[in-house]
Amino acid sequence: MSQSASVTVTKQPVVHVQRSRFSITKALVFIFLGILIITQLYPLIWLLIYSLKTNEEILSGSFFSLPSVWQWSNYSSAIEGGNYWKYLSNSLLVTVVTLTCVILLASLTAFAITRFRWKYGQLVLLVFLLGMMIPIQATLLPLMKIFKGMDILNTHLSLILPYIAFQTPIAVFIMSGFMKTFPQEIEESAVMDGAGVFRIFGNIMLPVSIPPIMTVCILAFISVWNEYILAATFISSEKLKTLPFGVYSFVSQYSVNYGAIGAFLVLGALPVILIYFLLSEKITKGMVAGAVKG
Amino acid sequence: MNILKVSRWTIAAFVLPCLLLYVCLVFVPITVSIYSGMLDWNGIGVSKFIGFANYNKMFTNDAIFWPTVGRTLLLAGFSMLVQLPIALFVAILISRYVRRPSFLVSSYFLPVILSVVVIGQLWKTIYNPASMGGMINQLLIKLGLDSWTHSWLTEPKVAIYSIIIVALWQYLGYHILIQFTGIQNIPADIYEAAKIDGAEGFQADRYITLPMIVPIFKISVVLSFIGSLQSFDLIMVMTGGGPAHTTDVISSHMYNMSFLSMKYGYGSAIASFLVVVCLAATMLVNLLFNRLDKRFS
Repeated sequence: MSQSASVTVTKQPVVHVQRSRFSITKALVFIFLGILIITQLYPLIWLLIYSLKTNEEILSGSFFSLPSVWQWSNYSSAIEGGNYWKYLSNSLLVTVVTLTCVILLASLTAFAITRFRWKYGQLVLLVFLLGMMIPIQATLLPLMKIFKGMDILNTHLSLILPYIAFQTPIAVFIMSGFMKTFPQEIEESAVMDGAGVFRIFGNIMLPVSIPPIMTVCILAFISVWNEYILAATFISSEKLKTLPFGVYSFVSQYSVNYGAIGAFLVLGALPVILIYFLLSEKITKGMVAGAVKG
Repeated sequence: MNILKVSRWTIAAFVLPCLLLYVCLVFVPITVSIYSGMLDWNGIGVSKFIGFANYNKMFTNDAIFWPTVGRTLLLAGFSMLVQLPIALFVAILISRYVRRPSFLVSSYFLPVILSVVVIGQLWKTIYNPASMGGMINQLLIKLGLDSWTHSWLTEPKVAIYSIIIVALWQYLGYHILIQFTGIQNIPADIYEAAKIDGAEGFQADRYITLPMIVPIFKISVVLSFIGSLQSFDLIMVMTGGGPAHTTDVISSHMYNMSFLSMKYGYGSAIASFLVVVCLAATMLVNLLFNRLDKRFS
């Protein structure tokens, strides 16, 4: 959509930062930015505190106070009451399979679009681009019919297939944007040496395409890991639920144990938050790259 | 010119698995959807072809439909007129005053990567009545503003705004990040040249940052507009469209019609409408910004 804005996220020092001394404007700015940090992060911290309180403490209305005794039992009842580990491993399975397939399929396609001499490369790319504007929800009903016909409703396959399909457009776009820039001489010499296309793809193209593959992984991970509606529509067995759907059903079942609900929400958010702590820079860069290219 | 000359079969081997999967799971369903929009069908029994009757009913004889369009636009409006300007303002402030911005930006960004289920449930808890531990109502009571307390998600008049606030809250950090990155990528020597010409501070922002940020701002606009059209998960998690349809948007109306009321044909008609609107909106936004781009360059 917006190839014109080729943004590369570089860490150049910003020269126009003012190196002035203390001033009222500056103080006001920092207060404003600080308030914004509080509004963005405090709800999450509040949830953490909430999850460690007893029901009485939660209901008593003193929401600034810390719990008198930290109720870690909320966490154990959340883990035992809900199938936390089951949900987590389901999410992991679905996400890993989806990501692997997306990367493999999208890089094959991007390779063909950018490196093969054939007429329809740009047309194929256009078809994929069109798909980025299609709202996922609109496919919900017909997909349900199709999967019912294939008899794969209520299996992980019914999630993995559409997840792959919905992630391929952006993946093909990012990958082909990268592969386009790769110099042709290297392939020429590889061809001279007698390498076949599959070897060129596997031994030359894939290894150099690690950066865009990372970007694709991050984008796909965030959206697949967090996906809720398809999971809630296509999955009904307790033992197949993914984490977001699991969190949702836990919360609707345990409506009286507030602390345990809070604990389960924290547990639901935890994997992504941990990954974010480790890879925040990569994730923000990836998300910007995805936005700019999308 | 692409270099590798390969056989048709090789091309097929590279492209077809991905393309077929994609076409079968994205384009075929959409086409099916447009067709089933012309059926009178509950999804199980016998279907009857009724032409454009569903569309006709949708546009002229569905008391819920137009309000859902209005609410979808309301969401888009708030996102574009409130969220994006704030994000741009914050991005400018950060790039001007903060020397190590990565901590700030990634803190603002954190809510973006969380699942809508977690966000929705968290805010449901925050909005709860004080007697159920809700943060906002407890705070209002503490401040002596008892009359301001509401049951934020069940009062028809306030429910949609309560949801809009959550949507704005969650994605603010995304737009800050996008626009901050855009500002970072404006070459520094332009600012230096402007400084020599006497343009500094907010004047420099007015004449350099704003025009230079237009392409990036466009991305934010497209994302927030399309995102609002598709806004769905959050509403399903928080209210399901209730109370009395006062938080229904186009897509939740579609979902409720097809999965709860079992009006499969009618739901498909709404889905088709949504697809068309999304495509049209994307083109419109691109067209508008191409004009804007030309005016500035």
